[in-house]
Amino acid sequence: MRTSTRGSRRMMTLAVVATLTTGLLAGCADDSGDSTPNNGGGNGGGGGGKTALTIGTFGVFGYKQAGLYDEYMKLHPDVSITENVTTKTDVYWPKTITRLQAGSGVDDIQAIEIGNVAEAVQTQADKFVDLGKEVDKSQWLDWKNAQATTKDGKQIGLGTDIGPMAICYRKDLFKEAGLETDRTKLAAEWKGDWSKFVDVGKNYMKKAPSGTKFVDSASSVYNAALGGASERYYDKDGNPIWDKSKGVKAAWNSAMEVATSDMSAKLKQFEKPWDQALANAKFATVACPAWMIGYIQEKSGEAGKGNWDVAAAPTAANWGGAFIGVPTAGKHQKEAIALAKWLTAPEQQAKVFAKQASFPSAPAAYATLKPQAATVEYFSNAPIAEIYAASAKTIPVQYFGVKDQPIGTAIADVGILQVEQKGKTPEQGWDAAKNEIKDVLGQ
Amino acid sequence: MTTSDLTLPQVDPAPKPKGDRGSRRPRMIGAGRQLHAGPITYVVLAVFSLISLAPLLWTAIAASRDNTRLAQTPPPLWFGANLFKNMQAAWDEVGLGTAMLNSTLVAGTITISTVLFSTLAGFAFAKLRFKFSSALLLLTIGTMMIPPQLAVVPLYLWMADLGWSNQLQTVILPTLVTAFGTFFMRQYLVQALPTELIEAARMDGANSLRVVWHVVFPAARPAMAVLGLLTFVFAWNDFLWPIIALNQQNPTVQVALNGLGTGYVPDQAVIMAGALLGTLPLLIAFLLFGKQIVGGIMNGAIKG
Amino acid sequence: MKASPYAFITPFFLVFGAFGLVPLLYTGWYSLHSVQLSSLDKQTWVGLENYKNLWSSDFFWNALKNTFTIGLISTVPQLLLALGIAHLLNYKLRGSTLWRVVMLTPYATSVAAATLVFTLLYSWDGGMINWLLHFVGVDPINWRESDWGGQFAVSSIVIWRWTGYNALIYLAAMQAIPADLYESTALDGANRWQQFRHVTIPMLRPTILFTVVVSTIGATQLFGEPLLFGGSKGGSEHQYQTLGLYMYDQGWIIGNLGKASAIAWSMFLILLIVAAVNMLVNRRLRKSQ
Repeated sequence: MRTSTRGSRRMMTLAVVATLTTGLLAGCADDSGDSTPNNGGGNGGGGGGKTALTIGTFGVFGYKQAGLYDEYMKLHPDVSITENVTTKTDVYWPKTITRLQAGSGVDDIQAIEIGNVAEAVQTQADKFVDLGKEVDKSQWLDWKNAQATTKDGKQIGLGTDIGPMAICYRKDLFKEAGLETDRTKLAAEWKGDWSKFVDVGKNYMKKAPSGTKFVDSASSVYNAALGGASERYYDKDGNPIWDKSKGVKAAWNSAMEVATSDMSAKLKQFEKPWDQALANAKFATVACPAWMIGYIQEKSGEAGKGNWDVAAAPTAANWGGAFIGVPTAGKHQKEAIALAKWLTAPEQQAKVFAKQASFPSAPAAYATLKPQAATVEYFSNAPIAEIYAASAKTIPVQYFGVKDQPIGTAIADVGILQVEQKGKTPEQGWDAAKNEIKDVLGQ
Repeated sequence: MTTSDLTLPQVDPAPKPKGDRGSRRPRMIGAGRQLHAGPITYVVLAVFSLISLAPLLWTAIAASRDNTRLAQTPPPLWFGANLFKNMQAAWDEVGLGTAMLNSTLVAGTITISTVLFSTLAGFAFAKLRFKFSSALLLLTIGTMMIPPQLAVVPLYLWMADLGWSNQLQTVILPTLVTAFGTFFMRQYLVQALPTELIEAARMDGANSLRVVWHVVFPAARPAMAVLGLLTFVFAWNDFLWPIIALNQQNPTVQVALNGLGTGYVPDQAVIMAGALLGTLPLLIAFLLFGKQIVGGIMNGAIKG
Repeated sequence: MKASPYAFITPFFLVFGAFGLVPLLYTGWYSLHSVQLSSLDKQTWVGLENYKNLWSSDFFWNALKNTFTIGLISTVPQLLLALGIAHLLNYKLRGSTLWRVVMLTPYATSVAAATLVFTLLYSWDGGMINWLLHFVGVDPINWRESDWGGQFAVSSIVIWRWTGYNALIYLAAMQAIPADLYESTALDGANRWQQFRHVTIPMLRPTILFTVVVSTIGATQLFGEPLLFGGSKGGSEHQYQTLGLYMYDQGWIIGNLGKASAIAWSMFLILLIVAAVNMLVNRRLRKSQ
């Protein structure tokens, strides 16, 4: 007994010493492998004289899936590309701005989501290369460029995708409810105003197939309506105008009509119950930006095939999209700029669209867009590319502000939710959202 | 908490239970006293086990299905055919091999150092008299009261100054010791380590190191095993700081898993397969540590 | 021999001072400034402004109240259950290692997986719990938005995740209880329950104190479980937004680092007050005895 405990204790000591030593050695070894402190970790796996580029993203771009990295590396054998993905956006952005400010650990290319671009423009502009000088800006939609440009004209990022909006609807449910099912006629019915869309919803609910609702949630209608407004939470000069903005008011009113009637399935998007509702046809419409159609197709599954259709939204609206920028702290700026230009060129944007329907921010690509045949068939052969392109071309210029995202959360997750799920009056909901936003803005 | 429990050091805070305690016979810890469990014990434990295991089990089920099936109702309650395919996909997509090695190194180093240093410090706080000991212990506990989530920002700036961005020591060094561990070992040893034993060893002429080796460590063994277990799981699953400090090229398992599910239609089944793969090494660690949490270990040691 | 206590605590305090304490002090520094996560260099000294701001904020007091109620309904059952499970695990069991390991799996299960499972359990329409409730004639509950339901659900996740963890801590301490104590009480004719009450519990006192302190601290900092259950607001009326979650929302989501740091230090101050009050009460009690 005694000897055996001794023996095992000696083993334990050995293990302790060995692990501590390897730990420290490994630390040192990493040091030597990454010898320049400020290279931002940009040389992972390089070697052999290759320029090792890294691109930091929050995961949705689909460049890898569309084979773009491989293609670029084939074109430029001296370059290797790795993507550093942080899929949680509420971690990706704090992480990225911390690294930008530390001037260390940044990737050669960093993605910037549309909700953060105003903050990046106003607070991190000096940390990014001015890409406006490197490209022919006319390639992109004007409003897309404008969002990533500082007051003195420096463009910190190149547009990747955008999120033009349409209405995805279930033809089968519309038919059962005795409504029009033709996509052009429907589009004409609600054209110009989201409140007309809500009116269609009221008709739907009169003869709604049992267990179904018209839309997934009130906040999705709010989001879509606001996505088409020229006035959002901030004015052109970055001053908050959320409490008097016409766009906010109109979107709020439409959302309130949805929330106070019985037409919402009261679901939170991208959560499991929402997925299940897609699979079980529990709601008849959802405002769907281009990038969402793949999601609908996958979650609705075989049962939804041919039952879904796509119609133009009441107003041209945008939801989502992103930019890629080149941090000045990166080690291979020249090569990074070249890669960023190539990735955002119209041809490459078209390739990503073909793969996962991320809609290009470069209009030159619109003529040649080819969605996947299976997707077109799934959505009743709707001319998906044309519908989204038409929307994209007429989306108004929108100004975003530093706290755009938290303000949006306050309205959707506090104001609208209180009315939709807690039976508060629209006035009470608005007051609650107002308190919340004041807290966000530190007022 | 009471003042007396934190005023240190204390010989024996436990109220003396009835019965003859003064016998000089060495205290047999654990062994021989354990009662056999009756059937009710097994039933109760089985129920709790089922509740504990269900989410992990469902992870495995989800990992064996496909993305479309996971959206359907009712949710799948039995295994599908895609488990290995999804695991393969997860493994390839984010390079889990490197991540596992890194995590083993990180969690292993942190565990050994936490257990070692916590036991030493916990012993000093529990059984030795020295100046400022109460104040230092209160300071230790006090720092646990400030949430660490915001400290990652200055910590990153500092690590960047040292030139350590994306390197493993950034996640190892800050957690080499924990206030939790020190407090835990202190509270355990206050009760579990009879002061007479230390005195007896000293009278035999043992120096401090020998006391630690022959008296403290054997007495602390079950607690060291539990602390090791908890620390290993914590280090393995730690998320916020590693994800800020590291990237996909030199990741720990949690950082790597965060790279799963890219594109606009994240594949839930592959994400679940990755989560399952990331948990498996922990189950192995459990069995390794779990065996150490047994009584009766110190019979031999204490006589010496 | 004299120097050895310091030798034993030095490694701990060296590493801890360097990597644990300094960042925490930074948090305190931030709390006295107006500083945004996106502009760390632009720090404006504001003194106690952030704290005054919290003092007059309904959200802060609401979070404090939630922290207290959720802390209570999650910590008390959790520790009692853990004690009971540890007691059972301390019997001679077939496959004892396996039982112990299983109890710790919730702590090891990935948060993503747990989130999915609990979302499914508590979903309003078609959730498993509402389905079970309908058999006893209860209407579907909107757990995420109901006032007490949200707190209950969050607490259930906390209990699920941390009970086994505490059970193992208790188990370790139980292993160190000398057998002769049990033997002598058995000779006195004590049954199992009396042994548990008169031997186990008193001998576990330091460890029980440890778990109470750690769980109390853990309860103030709780943010993962309510975040995964219902987002950073903790329900549309902040029904289950804890102090930890409020801090997370302010610091990480809104990016207001100064205010978030003030919340962090307020949590520290609140715990100090709790400890001080506790001490006074104890002293008073002891005097009156």
